[in-house]
Parts: sequence; structure tokens; C-alpha cells
Amino acid sequence: MKGSYRNKVLDVDLTSGTAKVEPLSEILIETFLGGRGLNVRRFFEEVPRDVDPLSPENALYIGIGPLEGTSFPGSCRVNFTARSPQTRLLGDSNAGGFFGPELKYAGFDQVVLRGRASKPVYLFIHDEACEFRDASNLWGKDIPDTQKAIIEELGDSRVQVAAVGPAAERGVKFAGIFCNLVRAAARTGMGTVLASKNVKAIAVRGTMPVEVALPDMFDDLVAEIKREILVHPQYKGRVYLGTTALMSSLNQLGCLCTRHYRTGRFEAIHQVSGERLADTLKVKGKACFSCIIPCSRYVRIDEKGKTILASEGPEFEGLAAFTSKVGNPDLKEGLIAVDMCNRLGMDVITTSEAIAFLMELYERGEISSSDADGLDLSFGNMQAVYALIEKIARREGIGDLLGDGAVEAARKLGVGEDLVMHVKGLEIFKADPRGLKGYALGLAVASRGGDHLRSEPSFEFSEDAEAARKLYGTEDAAFRLRYKGKGRVVKDYEERCAISDCLNACKNTLVNMEILSYDRMSTLLHAATGIKLDPEEIRLIGERIVNLERMYLVSHGVTRADDTLPKRFTEEPLPEESGPSAGSVVELDPMLDEYYESRGWDINSGIPKESTLKRLGILHLVNGVLDESLVLRR
Amino acid sequence: MVDLKVVVEEVRGFCDLPMKPGDYFEVRGGAIVIPEGGKVCLWALQSLMPLLPLKQRNIAEDNDWVPHTNKIICPDPKGGVVYRIEPLGANLHPKSESQDLPLRIVADPSKCVGCRVCELTCSFVHEGVYCPDMSRIRVEKDELTGKDEPIACHQCGTARCVLACPVGALKRNAATGAVDVDGDKCIRCKGCAKACPFGAIRFHPESGLPMICDLCGGDPKCVKECAAKALEVRER
Repeated sequence: MKGSYRNKVLDVDLTSGTAKVEPLSEILIETFLGGRGLNVRRFFEEVPRDVDPLSPENALYIGIGPLEGTSFPGSCRVNFTARSPQTRLLGDSNAGGFFGPELKYAGFDQVVLRGRASKPVYLFIHDEACEFRDASNLWGKDIPDTQKAIIEELGDSRVQVAAVGPAAERGVKFAGIFCNLVRAAARTGMGTVLASKNVKAIAVRGTMPVEVALPDMFDDLVAEIKREILVHPQYKGRVYLGTTALMSSLNQLGCLCTRHYRTGRFEAIHQVSGERLADTLKVKGKACFSCIIPCSRYVRIDEKGKTILASEGPEFEGLAAFTSKVGNPDLKEGLIAVDMCNRLGMDVITTSEAIAFLMELYERGEISSSDADGLDLSFGNMQAVYALIEKIARREGIGDLLGDGAVEAARKLGVGEDLVMHVKGLEIFKADPRGLKGYALGLAVASRGGDHLRSEPSFEFSEDAEAARKLYGTEDAAFRLRYKGKGRVVKDYEERCAISDCLNACKNTLVNMEILSYDRMSTLLHAATGIKLDPEEIRLIGERIVNLERMYLVSHGVTRADDTLPKRFTEEPLPEESGPSAGSVVELDPMLDEYYESRGWDINSGIPKESTLKRLGILHLVNGVLDESLVLRR
Repeated sequence: MVDLKVVVEEVRGFCDLPMKPGDYFEVRGGAIVIPEGGKVCLWALQSLMPLLPLKQRNIAEDNDWVPHTNKIICPDPKGGVVYRIEPLGANLHPKSESQDLPLRIVADPSKCVGCRVCELTCSFVHEGVYCPDMSRIRVEKDELTGKDEPIACHQCGTARCVLACPVGALKRNAATGAVDVDGDKCIRCKGCAKACPFGAIRFHPESGLPMICDLCGGDPKCVKECAAKALEVRER
């Protein structure tokens, strides 16, 4: 039976400049599904644990999912996986846009990049072929110029480009891979890895049709799902604001990251809110491939008859990064800072953390202008923010220090390591975890470090006590400021997110709008691929992935002691002005106990029990690791 | 040749002559005949003039724009007086005027969000697979400028693609007005695509045949699936 998988992997050896096409094994599909799952499975087995992340021996896995290329709404994402140069743990990041489906149309489910090219190249992947093309003249170009040059050179506006910017070339450890200009696989330094391989970009163009196993059934299911999305209570809000809605809503709840997580409300919220952006600067809505929720936006800033910025974006993270987080009340200036990061190819979360952290040190008098190339690092000084962004990307002066990430910078400065808001070396998002206990736990245990997209336990906003009791054993699970039941909520949502990352469909619809139950997923996957997996088998794939990723961390010595949060969130209550969240801290330990217990992990060490790994069928993969971790613990 | 009656159908703005709905004049042979006590606006007349001899004659090409155009508006920007031209006596274009006007897909790039659902829909409806390169409609995008422009067949009156085909492989479908492609006759010369002023014709990646919008037989599915409502079906 024909299905929506290609059953093909493009395995590229950059050192020798050769590429081969290999079959994708069916057993891997049935146990790890696609995207993130397939990537981490192969990465775990193939890449030596102690590999230097920026050496040719680190491999970069690029994976897409079984629904990619079909009409399933938002099935457009692509996962990049490698050892992270930023955290030195698991690196994994995904992006939306148009790159993923194009890879499917070009004939592949996965691409693996190994080795290092002898000179700058870009890859052109098209209809089951791969070309190595000279990129000497692209080296040093920013993201938009790179994409423009490649599309011009290839003479086809339908080529989809994933590129790295100057920051990645200079070894900034939190550089991303940018698809379609602004669709960034930003986190954990996957751009740095790609640049270390001397690859400036990957261009993809495919004309091969994607077939589904049961076309009529699939089409009916998709039509039904689309109808539900269009009448979903969240639909209109998402079309109007997308994730930028969070600016106002988090501010209202009193947990919007403001002046580096020192309070939960920004006094200038109305000047920088998602509503303000949509009502004043938005030109029109934008959507990813095959999605019926145009939650993104194209914005333009004109001043004195001249356009000073025209670009897609930003999302909530970028918007908060350079407004409330750094104490900036000017929307336009905030957008310019986001645009700079996008052009230079850096993660806005880490970049803004490096800057806001310095600003806090400066305010406390722990560093002075003379430590920061003479810059006035007062909160709200956007000229200093611009200068720091440029300096980081060029690794110049203080920017060189920040280019390894905020954690490393604190270590080198010798001050304020406690003030870097990160988990396991990865800086966290722009909601204050004290106001969202489930998210807080999610950050502490996420398999790529301080990340909210590994779990997104949005259930804790529901206030649906009855559902909470039924699903998670306590009504507290449905309330964001309570901690009971959150271990079970996070476990559940981690698995949903893992599946979403395997299908490479958008979490906004799959997880937050809860549009795809395991039951329905089972039917849909059968119609698309011809493969029958029952709902529980699909959930198990999610659980398997979370456990395998955990074992990768365990192999690097990670235990319960590392599943922690910055002291500020567990010890300092949110101040009075934070309204409904005031006085709140994160009760991490009881949540961790509950989480480990529901996961079948040892409560003291946070390491998966042998019985759990056996139940998930991955014991054989991780056996050596368990032995090593015992030694590590002794 | 046929005689005509030109009637004021509607006044959208302000006409100080005034021309009122129901006012009319006739065109008999080479003369304009104004009913007693009536009048004709000079502004409107100069716009109407080129159309009058045209509407007096029969048109061979059944999809030509002339039979489907019977209204004209006074060019005075304040006025907005709409005139309707109707035949007096014998109906010149019985076939065309008795059936619905041909349809076409009209796109509004300012509403298009660039999701390309139209492309996926088209390829699935026509080919049973998902493949943007097998779609008859496509979205031209430029991410730098934010351009998203859906391009589909304009269903031209006198279709250049049909005229350009050296072997007669392109033909009007009498029922829908869309252009049908005869795959057995087509010699893959690509002349049709070169002739299309809108760049709306592309070629099937496997068969090499031109792909031209067939309006899904009169009810285009891409329009239905466009959540942003950037596509619309209009009478041509």
C-alpha cells in the first residue's frame, strides 16, 4: 500500500562531498514515527556520547513527519537534532514555514549531515538528488541576503531555503537555522553546528507528489478537522494575534517576564501588546504551509516616508524579549531588535537573556560600563541593546563573552551565575514560571534544557476541575497556581508534544487547541500511511522518546539535581504588583516527586527505572548508559 | 445588425441633469433616437459610443467579452449613472444570454496569507495526490516583501492560449467556459504558456501537459478551502 512516507533518507558525507540515499526502516517508523523521534533515535545510536559538538563527528539530523506535504493543517515543521554546542547536551530545535514539506516533495523523510566540507558550501536537494554548491560568496551574508542570492542563483522562487547567518559562522553558540527568513529552529545552537560543517544553507525544491494510503478517508478526516478548527473558540483570537496574545494575557495574570523576571507586570503593556502590534503595524496575516490559521503577521514600519522595517513576525517570544524583558516601552524599537537577531541568525530567547541578565548585573552595581565596552546598560536603553546584539554576532568585546551564552558569560565574569534564567544551560521563555506551576515543572525536566515547547501543559489554564479530577486525580491540576497533579499533567503533555514533533505538525493546533486525540491520530495515521498503530501505541511512542532523550541526558551525568530552576523562581515570591500571581513561588520538589513517579523513574536520582525502559522496548539501546550512570552516581 | 435600447438602470451618485432610472434612448441603424421630452447625457454618451456599433453586431466567438457585457457607467466620478444596453426585437446572442455568465477565480493578494492550501486542494482534486507542482493555481510568494499572489486562469474572453495552440489541442468547454486540454493532440510546444498574459499556465511534472484551471466543472474547490477568503468566484 502506498503511504505518505517516502521511506528514504538522504545521508550526506560533507567531508568527501558525497551523498547516498538509504531506505528508512519500517521498525524505526513504528517505534519512533518521524521528525524528532527518528532524529533522536538515530542520533543516540550513531553519535559518540563525548563528541565535540562543533567537530565533524557530530552529525546533524533533519527530520520531517508522516503528514508532511499532505493537506493536514500545519503539518509543515522540520526538526534539527545534534549534540548542542550551547548546552553540550541534547540539541534539538524545530521550525515551521515551508521547508519541511518541500523536503518531502523532494523525496525524503530525513537528511543526515556528517563530517565537514573543506570549503563553504550550500546543499541543493531536489527530487531525490543532492548537489554541493559553492557558498564562498555567501559566507558572511545575513539571512535575507543569503536566501535572496540562492533563490536568484537557482532561478526558482519556489526553492525553500534554511540558512545560517553571520553569528553561526563566528561560532556564537546559540545561532539558529532560519527557514523562510524568520522561521527559526533557533534553540540549542543547531545553526552553530551547521556552520561548523561549513554549510551555509540547505536549499530544497521538490516536485514529487505525496500520496496517502486511503485518499477518500484521509480527505474526509482532514475536512472534519478543518471544520472544527474554524469554529474553535480560539480560532479568531489566533488569527488576530497569534502567540502575541500572550503579552496582554500573561501581563493580566501577573506573570509576564518584566525587567528580567523581577516582576510580572509591565507598566507599558498597552504600548507593546500584541493588540497594539496588530492594530498599528500589521500589514496582513501570514500562515505556514497548509495551515488554515494565519497566526503570523507581516509588519511594516514607515517613518518619514521611508520603510525602516518590513518583515514577518515577531512571535510572543521575540516581542517580549525586546520589550518587557529589557524594560523597553517602544514597540518599533523592540521589533528592530528582533529583526536584527533574525538577520544575524541568533536565538532571541538566549540573546535577550544574555542582555537582560547583564542589565540586571549593571543595575545591581555588580558590573559597570567599563566592563561592557562603555555601554550604559540601564533597562530600557535600546541603543545598548542594538550594540550588544551586533557585538554578540561579531563576537566583539563584551559580545565575545556573551557569544557562548549567558551561563558561560556569568562563569567568566565571576558574578551572577544564579541570575541567569536557564535550566541545564538553556535559557527559559518569557512567562514567569512562578505564575505557571506546570510550565515551571516542564522547564525543569525538559530534555533539551529550559524549554517550554517540550510540554506546553496548557491544561493548567483550563480551570476545569472535573476534567482535572478525572484525568489527573486532583482538581488542582486545572489551576495554574497550584502544584498538585502537575507531575501527571506534564508527563501527559510531554508525550503529546513529542508526538506533535514527530508528526511535525503545529503544537498550537495539536496540543493547545487539542484538535487531535490519540484515537483520531490513530485513524488519521492509518489513512495517511497505511500503518495501523492503536492509540496507546502512539502514546507509547511519545513516552519512548521522552525516555530515550532522558537517557541521553543521563549518559552525560544529568540527575534529579539538574532538574532545577533558578533560585529566583523557587525562593523569591513574585512582588505585590504582579496581581493575581503575587506572592507565588514554584514548589518544585513535590512536583518532581510526582513527575518521576508517574514516569516510572527513580525518585531519588531521576533516572528511568530498568523496568520502564524495558516496557518501552529501549533497554537494549541504553544498557551501557545505565551502567555508566551508576558509576557517575557513585 | 440589430437595434438597441439603452436604459438607465441605476444612479449610484448624483446626476444633476438629471438622468433617472428608466430614462432611455434607442439606436436604430446608424441613428440615435431620443424619445420626446427625453435627453442624453453627453458624458455618458461619449463612453457608450464605442460599444454601440459593437453591440449591434453578432460575435462568432461565443466566449468573447462583448456578449457578456451590457452595462456601462457614466465617467463623471460624482454621477455613477449605470446604463444597460439591450437588444430591441431579435435576440442576437441567444445561447450566451440564456445561460449563466462564465465564471472565473478572482484573487485578492492583500488577503492571501500564503498558506498554499489552494495548491494542495487543486492537486488532490485533479490528481488524487498532494503536489503543489500539479496544481492549476499557484501562489507567487516573495518572503522579503511579504508578497502572496495567487495566480489562476483568468478565463479570458478571447483566450490567447487557445489561439496560440498550433494543433487545436485547447478548446472551450461549452458548459463551463473553461479551456479544456486534449492530451492526445498536445505536442508540448509550450506555446500556450508563452501566450498567456498572466503567466497562469504551467506544465504537469510527469505528463508535460499544460495545466489550465477547469473551474472544477463550475464549482472551484480551492475557493471553498481558502480560509482567508482571498479567492472568490465571480462572473466574468
